[in-house]
Amino acid sequence: MTRHYFEFSSPVKMVAGFRALEHIPFEMETRSVSRPMIVSDKGVVAAGLVDAVIEAIVSGNGQVGPVFDDVPPDSSMEAVEAGACIYLESGCDAIIAVGGGSVMDTAKAMNIMATEGGGDPRRFAGYNNLKHRLNPFVAIPTTAGTGSEVTAISVIKDAKAGVKTFFFSQFLLPDVAVLDPRMTLKLPPMMTAATAMDAMTHAVEAYTCLAKNPLSDTYAEAAVRRISAWLAPVLENPEDAAGRLALAEAAAMAGIAFSNSPVGLVHALAHTVGAMYGVHHGAANSIFLPGVLEFNMPACREQLGELLLYLAGSEEYAATPAEGRAEASIARIVALKQHAYELCGLPRTLAETGKVPREALPDIAARSLDDGTMVMNPVDVTYEDALAVLERAWE
Amino acid sequence: MSEPLHPSARTTPVAGRGLSYSVQRRYVVFMMWLIARLLQAASTADRAIRREVVDLPEGFSFSMRVRSGGPALIMRKVGDRLGTVPTSSTARPALAFEFKHLAHAFLVLSFQESTPQAFANDRLAIDGEFPSAMKVLRCLNRMQAVVLPKFVARRALKSYPSIGLLEKLTLAARIYGRFVIELLTRGPK
Repeated sequence: MTRHYFEFSSPVKMVAGFRALEHIPFEMETRSVSRPMIVSDKGVVAAGLVDAVIEAIVSGNGQVGPVFDDVPPDSSMEAVEAGACIYLESGCDAIIAVGGGSVMDTAKAMNIMATEGGGDPRRFAGYNNLKHRLNPFVAIPTTAGTGSEVTAISVIKDAKAGVKTFFFSQFLLPDVAVLDPRMTLKLPPMMTAATAMDAMTHAVEAYTCLAKNPLSDTYAEAAVRRISAWLAPVLENPEDAAGRLALAEAAAMAGIAFSNSPVGLVHALAHTVGAMYGVHHGAANSIFLPGVLEFNMPACREQLGELLLYLAGSEEYAATPAEGRAEASIARIVALKQHAYELCGLPRTLAETGKVPREALPDIAARSLDDGTMVMNPVDVTYEDALAVLERAWE
Repeated sequence: MSEPLHPSARTTPVAGRGLSYSVQRRYVVFMMWLIARLLQAASTADRAIRREVVDLPEGFSFSMRVRSGGPALIMRKVGDRLGTVPTSSTARPALAFEFKHLAHAFLVLSFQESTPQAFANDRLAIDGEFPSAMKVLRCLNRMQAVVLPKFVARRALKSYPSIGLLEKLTLAARIYGRFVIELLTRGPK
């Protein structure tokens, strides 16, 4: 008998590629959806992306209900409640979320209330507290990084309670994720780089943390290969639709990978500097990734070495002695960060963010230890360890 | 995680037949009783654990349980230490560590699978606020590192902390001493 065991779930239908938006009417019809509410934010609406979605639906003889565009950058329980009220009052029967991670999280929580007919969504907060399917949910990401279109989690800022409330349930997974290159074509280079490095971190941590399994590995490898190949070309030519699609696919695959093999220390540190100093999550992940991999190397040298194939290609992999591949993988990630810095100014260090005072590092280290992602890191992390990684990431 | 990449990569096979569920249940019930009492003692005797407990919210309580009414332990912060709560208590703890099945609790509590690996294998889930969960996990890890022989603790933990033999023996003696005193003064309940 072997001790080998893993779980893997990815029931989201992927609708990806050229003219993908135009498949939405069919997906609505097959789910008996006639009046979806669109959830978005004002920036996405101003960029014309919601109009593009509506045009694609209406031109396919579909109908659209109200547009709720009051989602704040960090999500909010008020937005969840307000959106759910509009949904119920307008007789909607599905949600189409168009936006980044905050829109996706808010729309998922709205769908809980919409399906349950209102009330306080907090009663469903926590782990697996939903007991049946929710109304149809279509996710259309406008960034290529968070992977929220394929994850079963929603984190909502609850200002009244002063906490971030999290919901986790398989029923929060969208029914359909639509990846259309038109949705990310206008994403500014800095945001493109930060979100791509977010996806890279999802994939690399999924590949090196404790819950890694054969299926999450496969998704992670494919994501790393795409981001390594396409990030620089897209930064050099933002209108490259093929590259945009490759990065969107990579973000979704990395999302599937880390949904089934959760992330570790990089995210613990990034969550903390994000909460304390507003450092963009993807930029923070990019800053911490190489240092954390060096710290974790004693527990994941082999896996890290295998990643070189997907980071650098078969020739460099074959030319690198097996005992040096882990270090070569980290060097490749550092080179990618450097390239992104030169092309769009993505910060390489905490100092370059201009937001984090050096004297705050001890406090950041202490708070990071309480982040839930620490559980899956392959190496136990002490306060001194976290502080050492932060010091290395400083400059 | 042991992953069967290739037959040549196989390590020592694990015995196929396990103990009966009724034996596993009795073992898990006993271990949960023991863990609760040792953690109660450790929260008084060990400075590192006490520091973590002090940082927990006032009145905080947590449970470790097997799903669907299986064996459980419940603990509550009382002052600056942890105390046991009868499992018949109806108050819902702020935090729960829940094993999906009795057999999974047995794997972990018999040190065949580490706690972090049980989380990774989806055998054990956290329901509640993560900051408090991480503090409780650090308390449990520290206690295991101190009270268990090193070769057993290594199986239970991600990594064995740097703790000298003299320090370990001194702390273990204090925790077991406190455990015995509590047992003699308050009884097994």
